[in-house]
Amino acid sequence: MNSQKFDGVTLSILWSRLLAIVDEAGTALQRTSFSTVTRESNDFAVVLMDKKGQSVAQSAISVPSFLGVIPMMTKYLLNGDFPESSWRPGDVVTTNDPQLCAGHKPDVGVVSPIFFKEKLIGFLGTISHVPDIGGVLWGAGARDAYEEGLLIPPTKLYSEGVENETLLNLIKNNVRAPMQTIGDIRAQVAANDQGRKGLIALLNEEGLEHIEDLSNQIINATEKAMRDAISKAPDGTFSYTYHADGDCNEEPVRIECAVTISGDEITVDYEGTSDAHTLGINSVLNYTYAYTAYPIKCTFSPEVPNNDGAFRPITVTAPRGSLLNATKFVPVGARNMTGNMLHAPVFGALVQAVPEQVQADCGAPCWCVVLNGYNPDRNDMEFVEYFFLNGGYGARSDRDGEGILSFPTNISNVPLEVQETSAPIRYHCKELLPDSAGIGKYRGGLGQRIIFEVVNEAGLNMSLLTEKLNNVSKGMKGGSDSIKGQLKIEPDKPVPPKGIMRLKKGDKITMEIPGGGGYGDETERDPLLIKRDLELGYITKKLIH
Amino acid sequence: MSAAAKKCIKLMSFQLGIDIGGTFTDVVLLDENSEKLFFSKILTTHGDPTDGIVTGIKQVLDENKLEGSSIRRVLHGTTLVTNAVIERKGAKTGLLTTSGFEDILEIGRELRYYIYDLNIQMPEPIVPRNLRLGVNERIDKDGHVISTLDESQLAVQVQTLVNNGVEAIAICYLFGYLNPSHEEKTAQFIRENYPQIYISTSSQIMPEIREYERTSATTMNAYVQPLTHTYLSKLESRLLDMDISGVINIMLSSGRLTTVEGAKESPIHLLESGPAGGTMAGVFVGKQTNRKDLFNFDMGGTTAKASLIHNHKPEITNQFEAGRVKRFRKGSGLPVRIPVIDMIEIGAGGGSIAKVNQLGLLTVGPESAGSEPGPACYDRGGESPTVTDADLVLGYLNENFFLGGTMTLNRQKAEGAIRKHLAEPLCLSVEEAALGVHRVVNENMANAARVHILEKGQDPRHFTMMAFGGAGPVHAFDVASRLNITQLLAPVGAGVASAIGFLVSPVAVENVRSHVGKLNSMDWEFANQFLSKMEDEGKAFLNTAGIPDENISISRRSDMRYLGQGFEINVPIPNGELSRDKTNEIQSNFSLTYSALYSRTIDDVEIESVTWRVLTTGPSPKIRLKQEFEFNSQNALKGHRKVRFAQLNTTIECPVYDRYGLQVGDAMNGPAIIEEKESTFVIGPNSQFFVDDQLNIIVDMDAS
Repeated sequence: MNSQKFDGVTLSILWSRLLAIVDEAGTALQRTSFSTVTRESNDFAVVLMDKKGQSVAQSAISVPSFLGVIPMMTKYLLNGDFPESSWRPGDVVTTNDPQLCAGHKPDVGVVSPIFFKEKLIGFLGTISHVPDIGGVLWGAGARDAYEEGLLIPPTKLYSEGVENETLLNLIKNNVRAPMQTIGDIRAQVAANDQGRKGLIALLNEEGLEHIEDLSNQIINATEKAMRDAISKAPDGTFSYTYHADGDCNEEPVRIECAVTISGDEITVDYEGTSDAHTLGINSVLNYTYAYTAYPIKCTFSPEVPNNDGAFRPITVTAPRGSLLNATKFVPVGARNMTGNMLHAPVFGALVQAVPEQVQADCGAPCWCVVLNGYNPDRNDMEFVEYFFLNGGYGARSDRDGEGILSFPTNISNVPLEVQETSAPIRYHCKELLPDSAGIGKYRGGLGQRIIFEVVNEAGLNMSLLTEKLNNVSKGMKGGSDSIKGQLKIEPDKPVPPKGIMRLKKGDKITMEIPGGGGYGDETERDPLLIKRDLELGYITKKLIH
Repeated sequence: MSAAAKKCIKLMSFQLGIDIGGTFTDVVLLDENSEKLFFSKILTTHGDPTDGIVTGIKQVLDENKLEGSSIRRVLHGTTLVTNAVIERKGAKTGLLTTSGFEDILEIGRELRYYIYDLNIQMPEPIVPRNLRLGVNERIDKDGHVISTLDESQLAVQVQTLVNNGVEAIAICYLFGYLNPSHEEKTAQFIRENYPQIYISTSSQIMPEIREYERTSATTMNAYVQPLTHTYLSKLESRLLDMDISGVINIMLSSGRLTTVEGAKESPIHLLESGPAGGTMAGVFVGKQTNRKDLFNFDMGGTTAKASLIHNHKPEITNQFEAGRVKRFRKGSGLPVRIPVIDMIEIGAGGGSIAKVNQLGLLTVGPESAGSEPGPACYDRGGESPTVTDADLVLGYLNENFFLGGTMTLNRQKAEGAIRKHLAEPLCLSVEEAALGVHRVVNENMANAARVHILEKGQDPRHFTMMAFGGAGPVHAFDVASRLNITQLLAPVGAGVASAIGFLVSPVAVENVRSHVGKLNSMDWEFANQFLSKMEDEGKAFLNTAGIPDENISISRRSDMRYLGQGFEINVPIPNGELSRDKTNEIQSNFSLTYSALYSRTIDDVEIESVTWRVLTTGPSPKIRLKQEFEFNSQNALKGHRKVRFAQLNTTIECPVYDRYGLQVGDAMNGPAIIEEKESTFVIGPNSQFFVDDQLNIIVDMDAS
């Protein structure tokens, strides 16, 4: 069969149609989902793939954690129990296996085949963070993978249109919010279906038989653009060592990162990084790849589309069994606490090659707080409320960092009025934290302080994920570091920085999340910016020499 | 009624619609007796916009030998408020918050609007940190006071703001929407001690849960209040100077009208005043021609806007952002939850620049050449090829009759720009590249429209597309065929569309209140109490606008969701006393709305209400029109020229008509080009068109 070559006009039109198709499916998925994480943090993705499982188009709203993950999962299915010839129209396969999917069990993948004129022409895949997957309360507290809840190996959720009742029943009986969790999985199936219909309508309108030629042409053009951008950077190997809290006690974390730019390719090697951690902060290689490729893509070619082509020039390796290449049985529930730091060593290495294109460390990862208990105001109904606290954004080579902004993930806060309505807590403050960022020619964005109090008689459980209590957001090119974060409870009691504890009525919790690192030498800072910072109270006099 | 009074009413049988846009101020005069419309169009006077209004009104009154006293009603829309927000030209504003929460306005939602741009910039808060002061007070989630308002500290904080020279103060306390007493006490204190200060409270401006969004709206209202106040007072007095003492109504973003007092109180409701008029013009033409479902398409120099009209009503949303850092990036602006006509805006206009991107794809917009230097064919130094350049090369535009011949276009410049920047890198002929620009920009618009229409659970094929704006009629045919829309309509007077729209908009007010509760365990007694209070407030407001109770209609809606979801959908609620008996009806309304949007329902999860809205509306004005032209020529056919259509493979000799030569009842086959002053209507092959009795041109396209 001769492959069809599209001109730059037709390709542009077809491409924008494909993006609209996945975006539409993504919007529907987000709006109908129950999971706070899915809707507030855009923690989902919809990907259109060709029949080999190569990504063609990815929904624009989605977080970096899923970059490339759905195609990796689909390729795994195709090479494993679900080869190309086994798919039938109406099939849907699901899995939440952290190794195959997005690195922890709440992220459930759903893949549906697309048949056109009775031929398999591609797949639609979605990943979404479901409200609950069983096991211990979400966090880093599980001792092994089994405590992290239900594992769904790749299984048919629908077989030629017939629902797998056994599987759904099994899920229903193993999770805390069964209706919402099943509701979210069904929303994924519906989103895939919507995308499939959109694609078929497009093929009919345009008189196409398949998407292979189209996808090849787009993927190859994307790959070329990415390679062109990388090849402009100087060759060499650039290394950076990054320190993180781990458990804030006897098991800190060390990330060794060596970025090699060679012609039009980039290899990132994490040799020398800490071994797997006792806490559930281990990252599978899929996830490590996603959060390593993301800062690289932002640095070199933010505008090229997200498809297989953008990632072909990027290779990531990490020692098997290490923190960044977790094996099957270690806990991975809070892998975001590790993945969301990887931009810092990657930028730390890349600044040696392309100093203008990167940013200083952010007050990341964002802190996660899960509150759980019984709400006296709502007939003692059980509540599980998630909320997230971002730090400041790192300074850039030409401007200050933004105050309190999510990076590298993109997760919003939950309005305080909504939080107080859903859980028995009361806030005393939520504010910018002056002097919390590194200074320099450009200052990091400020972090934040919150104080809240438990107000119900029974008290509640709190699962916490914090970072940078013992470490800082690192400055860049002479810019200074941020302050350390703070976590304390009045009346004073020990708080596990990553773990679960019981809170009593009247307990008052203070959290301070650091700002971003500074960029460049402080002596080069524009005096007008210093004056403004003082006037607005972003910095106080004590920092002036 | 006395004979004199009757005579007066008969004399006062004229209405004025006035629309101030960025470039032009449009005035339309409606003679209710003869059912005729008269237009005038003058350049907007940016220094003092009322100068332009006065000139325009005088012009249209003089032409018709009328006195100001004959004007019964003045309807007005303006971009004043939106420009003040975009250009940050509002008043120096202070903000009082619950102490400890002064930074909520700056913190926002902590979300990036574009995840691949490391150089992202977030919008600056309207009130800087040194003018945001905390007051000791606290209300809890049930509306109970936990700490009383510290009045002596309040006095100090207000004094500090005043010393800093603020003109306006916004007040937004936590849970102020549930219990406004602290906000009201604060406002009263300021009113008594600093009567010159403008005050906005969150409990009045946006009494809804979610503190950032509420603070944002309240602050923005305070920010634009002084200038709106000054402007509207001045307008009133200048109209009086012309002896115009009729009612003045102001256009809101929702396509409804309010009184001058209402506009002064809540000027943020004027943010989309102008564009709303555009959609209401569609409503107007729809009513005139008996078409209830319309797709309104308005394409100008830098953007295209589109909205749906369903059952003669525009779609309304309350998700809106003002002053975006990046105009076409959702999330890069400041949220304002006010009712606005649900409109999509994309960066596609005559000035949109076409280029070949790093992947070798032809892309168009959102960057625009604007009017200076403008498209290459303007010959004012613009070198980038634009949509207008492509339209000229394809033969759609007449180089000697652009804007009615007031401007000549340079075809060589257009071809040169397309050749150098598009045809050569793409290895296409100049004509093929120009057609590519046309196809890509049309596909961009069709794509956005397709998503928008689907999100509303509608099918594009049921709509007639109405083309407005300078570039709208040029692109409408191809956009419609991409959407499988089969009927197109190009109205007369599309150039003054917004001002016409004002004439048919009803006076209305929406009252809002958040009360979170599950449908099955709702405290209906409490709900009935606040709903009827909201109705009474709405009626009282309409009474002040001269609308008696018997002409008022009420419609109630609630923002509802499945328990645990984060997005609400807007669901109709029955009027009258509510009780447990009504839950089935409300539940089924919810299910219908939900499945229209998302094609499914979730039967085993409870439903909860978050926010309640009561819309109190006056009657929709009924207007009949008799359109007339001064015909320019007996012969409508101007000649033929070479035109390339997207639907055909070669260039053809296409007939060109003068719109002012076409008569009621004329019917012909496409392809055709119809030239008029403000625009050119491009009609492709495989279509028929005719001129209806209102002089609208209607195109029926063969279904493909």
